[in-house]
Amino acid sequence: MISVKKVNNRPLNFLERIYLPEIARGLAVTMRHFFKNLFSPKNILTIRYPEQASPLPGNANLRTLHRLKIREDGSPKCVACFMCQTACPAYCIRIEAAEYPDNTVEKYPAVFDIDLSRCVMCGMCVEACPEDAIAMDTRELPGGALTRAEMLLTRDDLLRNLPGEPSTLGAANRLANEYLEGKK
Amino acid sequence: MPKITIDARTIDVPKGTSVLEAAQLLGVYIPRYCYHPRLSVSGNCRMCLVEVEKAPKLLTACSTEAAEGMVVRTDSEKVKAARRDVLEFLLINHPLDCPICDQAGECGLQDYYMDYSRAKSRFPAEDKVLRQKRRALGPHLVLDNERCILCTRCVRFCSEVTKTSELEVMERGDHSFIDLKEGKALDNGYTLNIADLCPVGAWTSRDFRFKQRVWFLKKAPAVCLGCATGCLMEAHYNDNTIYRLVPRPNAETNTWLCDRGRMTYKAAAAGDRLSKGVIKNGLIDLEPALREAATRIDEAKDAAAVLGSPWLSVEDNAALALLAGGMKTENYCFDFKFETGIADGILVNKDPSPNAAGAARVKAASGGLNFEEFLARLSGGKIKLVLTEARAAGLLKDALKASGARLIVFANNRGEIPAGAYATLPYASYFETPGTFINYQGLERRTEPVVQAPEGVKPLWQVVNKLSAYSGASLRLDSAEDALKGLDKK
Repeated sequence: MISVKKVNNRPLNFLERIYLPEIARGLAVTMRHFFKNLFSPKNILTIRYPEQASPLPGNANLRTLHRLKIREDGSPKCVACFMCQTACPAYCIRIEAAEYPDNTVEKYPAVFDIDLSRCVMCGMCVEACPEDAIAMDTRELPGGALTRAEMLLTRDDLLRNLPGEPSTLGAANRLANEYLEGKK
Repeated sequence: MPKITIDARTIDVPKGTSVLEAAQLLGVYIPRYCYHPRLSVSGNCRMCLVEVEKAPKLLTACSTEAAEGMVVRTDSEKVKAARRDVLEFLLINHPLDCPICDQAGECGLQDYYMDYSRAKSRFPAEDKVLRQKRRALGPHLVLDNERCILCTRCVRFCSEVTKTSELEVMERGDHSFIDLKEGKALDNGYTLNIADLCPVGAWTSRDFRFKQRVWFLKKAPAVCLGCATGCLMEAHYNDNTIYRLVPRPNAETNTWLCDRGRMTYKAAAAGDRLSKGVIKNGLIDLEPALREAATRIDEAKDAAAVLGSPWLSVEDNAALALLAGGMKTENYCFDFKFETGIADGILVNKDPSPNAAGAARVKAASGGLNFEEFLARLSGGKIKLVLTEARAAGLLKDALKASGARLIVFANNRGEIPAGAYATLPYASYFETPGTFINYQGLERRTEPVVQAPEGVKPLWQVVNKLSAYSGASLRLDSAEDALKGLDKK
């Protein structure tokens, strides 16, 4: 059963019904904004995204562009366990695992692609990661792109550390620490 | 017949049945690591502890024989606590490897932890005793001693099933670990069963390693076509790619699967897979290749010959028999005699072809020459052109060379094409198309399609159908079953 709501609009008065004065009034509003923006452009609210970006609020916890963390020796912290790919509701992650010939970590991602044109920025991959290797804390918003290929982040695009990293704290870093110790 | 009561349900079991097996008959699942129905009872994992009335302590269900009037509880608080404690014990030093462990998703420790424990560890991760990590043992396996729970299934498999005894538990007590015996190599032809047997990630397959997470895999029944034993197996696939083959245990033929059988999936996805026709050595499209083959067949008239193949299904052999009928030649043969029987006492058959019995069924319906007569006619120069399957052409190798007859073969892969073949036509492998095979015991084995054939590749009966359309007497087959029906009418 579709519910129908009846709206009683106010009937138009005479001036509104002859139409022309209302057009003039509308044009006046438009022209007022046009000249205001023409002579004092700093009050314009819109920005030219994606060439321009508005700064994000300082203390906001946002899910922004993904990154993969890097260990001290430059290898990816990711061990290609496929948890993020499994958790991803948008099927935007594609991993191909490979094997190190010698060290305790054994496994690493030879391919790690995130298709931003599919990603819904839900952050499930970050939640799922048992190694704390993927993060969405770059404070960059994925912008518009002209081709699909530009929306594909590869392993090399994703691998980067933020200032103060790599961190070696926490249980998730156990394997990595062991591995780095073995390299010394 | 002892009468035993398990969780307030009573059952009569044959004498000698263990409590665990009796519970299984009642549909009560008792968790286990070391117990395996086809291996001897070892009773070392302690996971199957159950409470038996009047017994002072909990007993292991796998090694306790069901006795008259026994009353067993598998769901009491005492049993639940015992399971939790056994799991805690096994997990004290178990590494936190799940993210990099291939077993994750089908791991006994993960599954039972979720089912029976879910307790937080009381031992800090830094205190874990470390052991030797992965190393390759043999051509098919990787061993990680740190993950091992010492259930000794692998040791018992090697000493009881293959009787090669390569593996042994070294040292004693908490120093124990599994290792190869001195001077042995782990390559007995059945080693990949150890990776299946291992309830944890200690033994993993080198071939499957890191290829795919097990929870992505879909399962489909399949049949091994490596030899006449016709083992039932399960193909694990995802995204139109088969990743591994595991046995589908059954009473008639197999509990295990040999290493060679497990690798048969590789040919279907190999890089040299044919999707076009080949004339001499040049690739050409299928249609011109078919026309060329049909022209040559018509040219040879009654000197053309069709040889069935024990590597093809009954349906495809039937289609070939119908084609021979349409060609109006007397030179056709569906007679293959191989010595059958299990060669190594486990699974591998003396007969290397999966369907010699199926070809014999086609022979019974369509008649045709004996293989010796066929060879004699070929050597005698009465046959100018042979149409057959690539591996069956191998049986004619010397006679073909001597007589110089033209050879037109059906093949899956480029590597299969015999030297000197005039034309080759591609067909879909039996991972991509259904087919019936009859193993050495006379049991019918049906393969079902698991993945899709490469583009343009058709089942053999369809290729034969097209060939018949080009060479005059059209067969008009609509399905593989049509070929069987057409044969029955004959």
